[in-house]
Amino acid sequence: MALLEVDALQTHFRTPDGINRAVDGVSFHVNAGETLAIVGESGCGKSVTAMSILRLIPEPPGKIAGAIRFNGKNLLEASDKEMRAIRGNEISMIFQEPMTSLNPVLTVGRQIGETLRLHQGMSAQAAEDRAVEMLNLVGIPEAKRRVKEYPHQLSGGMRQRVMIAIALACNPKLLIADEPTTALDVTIQAQILDLMRDLKHRVGAAIVLITHDLGVVAEVAERVVVMYAGRKVEEAPVHALFNKPRHPYTQGLLGSVPKLGSSLTGEATRLAEIPGLVPSLKQKIPGCVFASRCAHATDLCTAVAPALEEKAPGHVAACHYALREGALAA
Amino acid sequence: MFAYIVRRVLATIPVMAIVALFVFSLLYIAPGDPAAVIAGDQATPDDVERIRASLGLDRPYLVRFGAWVWDILRGDLGVSIFTNLPVSTMIQQRIEPTLSLMIVTLILAVSIAVPMGVVAAWRQGTWIDRAVMGFAVLGFSVPVFVVGYVLAYFFALEWDLLPVQGYTPFARGFWPWLENLILPSIALGSVYIALIARITRATMLEVLQQDYIRTARAKGLNQSGILFLHALKNAAVPIITVIGIGIALLIGGAVVTESVFAIPGLGRLTVDAILRRDYPVIQGVVLLFSFVYVLVNLAIDLAYTLFDPRIRY
Repeated sequence: MALLEVDALQTHFRTPDGINRAVDGVSFHVNAGETLAIVGESGCGKSVTAMSILRLIPEPPGKIAGAIRFNGKNLLEASDKEMRAIRGNEISMIFQEPMTSLNPVLTVGRQIGETLRLHQGMSAQAAEDRAVEMLNLVGIPEAKRRVKEYPHQLSGGMRQRVMIAIALACNPKLLIADEPTTALDVTIQAQILDLMRDLKHRVGAAIVLITHDLGVVAEVAERVVVMYAGRKVEEAPVHALFNKPRHPYTQGLLGSVPKLGSSLTGEATRLAEIPGLVPSLKQKIPGCVFASRCAHATDLCTAVAPALEEKAPGHVAACHYALREGALAA
Repeated sequence: MFAYIVRRVLATIPVMAIVALFVFSLLYIAPGDPAAVIAGDQATPDDVERIRASLGLDRPYLVRFGAWVWDILRGDLGVSIFTNLPVSTMIQQRIEPTLSLMIVTLILAVSIAVPMGVVAAWRQGTWIDRAVMGFAVLGFSVPVFVVGYVLAYFFALEWDLLPVQGYTPFARGFWPWLENLILPSIALGSVYIALIARITRATMLEVLQQDYIRTARAKGLNQSGILFLHALKNAAVPIITVIGIGIALLIGGAVVTESVFAIPGLGRLTVDAILRRDYPVIQGVVLLFSFVYVLVNLAIDLAYTLFDPRIRY
């Protein structure tokens, strides 16, 4: 049994001008200790998927349907109290904005120790001692002094380290990282990724990594889910996805990544971009969600939504033509 | 921090000097001659002139101001024209009821208004929120004396739960003291509660949108932990600011409240002094209120550092 099974997840928001189908029937699973990346452009529903797992979506206006099974237990049927016992304890989360995700008026030590006192019943002193250990673990020097400091006294990279310390304090089985490096400098990004990889091995937690950065995906993920307009369009082991992307959207996504130094070696070509915009999620789309931007789209694509098909072992894609023509326009 | 406190205390000196000049001048230019009032209807112009000279009212303006300030600095607020008692003695006699009323009102208002605002923000758009906001509008628009008389009518006259009016000194026991202050405090505090509840709600609504509140939820905190620790502490600075500003409201409202509930405090003393043109008493009381207000503001500025570590002096 997988650690986390997300089954036909639908997260819809009621808005004054209609229902916004932010996530529309997404399924995937995460095995214990595995790293799964969810990639896609902004607005494709990846963050909403992450928030839905912990039920952090305000309801109303949000509404979550489907099933989210964690260790076999459907979280959508759990009581508020059961959910609180899981959040920060068995499943924890790191957010995109380290500058604003920490409470500015509480000390770092307090914010790390809080989950320990809450979920493990530690005393204030024990929690602070453990907070110092956690700061050491995430590589913050002078942890004893830092534990008494406030977030504004730390840099962005340090704050994200503190967020990681908070997330890992209770040894969760699953860590959801929502764009953990997006707001950081490139050099700091690498450090944070290294840290996450290192800690993952030590703690043994599974990771769901939400990102739009394919470089990050290649670096840390074992399996990848590609999302587009609230749906899963492709899923594959990371090598298969990079070597032989099946869905035209994934191909476009990979084609739009600049290669470092390519203009110096003379092989510079114009970056491929995906024309058009993500369709509005307020209308129901009968056919393929990507059809309006796809170079290969036919009448079939706009009329009938392609089902997810296994194109190769462990490699699924939702495209009518992907199998027949192999890699379409790689 | 210590240097800041010293600097702030020193900075109150020019403020108080300006207040003093203003208080002194206001009465100097106000119509009506205290000497004529004291002399009465039968007095000859010579009598009035003699009284004026004995009060020092015939001396030049700046000389009088200088002498007045010099006396105050030595702790002498002058002598009441009407009772011949030193003003400082009169204030001492009247300060306990007013201070009691203020403190009870402050505690009552903050302990009602802050939770009200927090819950309204948490339950934004529900009937609880609308009820709190409705109460706030009512609190703003109904004058203190109306609230006072309505409360006294029902709680004291009809249901006989609390005394109608008067004041019992604290020395006579806690409950007798408090019993007399409950109705006046509610009457005086209604505007104050409305003000604090509104600001608390507005600030909390903003804070609850912040990323760190989402983090707190993701950590598994329960609703009260999120509201009263993570959110309220971030909302504290604006709330404390209105609590402080509101003390000016209380000072003004105390004058009316003390009249409605027949409390022998500084408010009554002020009203009586104004009606009798008892200049030294008016000056003494106004100076005292100003001084208290300046101190309250200093206390608020210092309180900010307790709640927000980013503020340093």
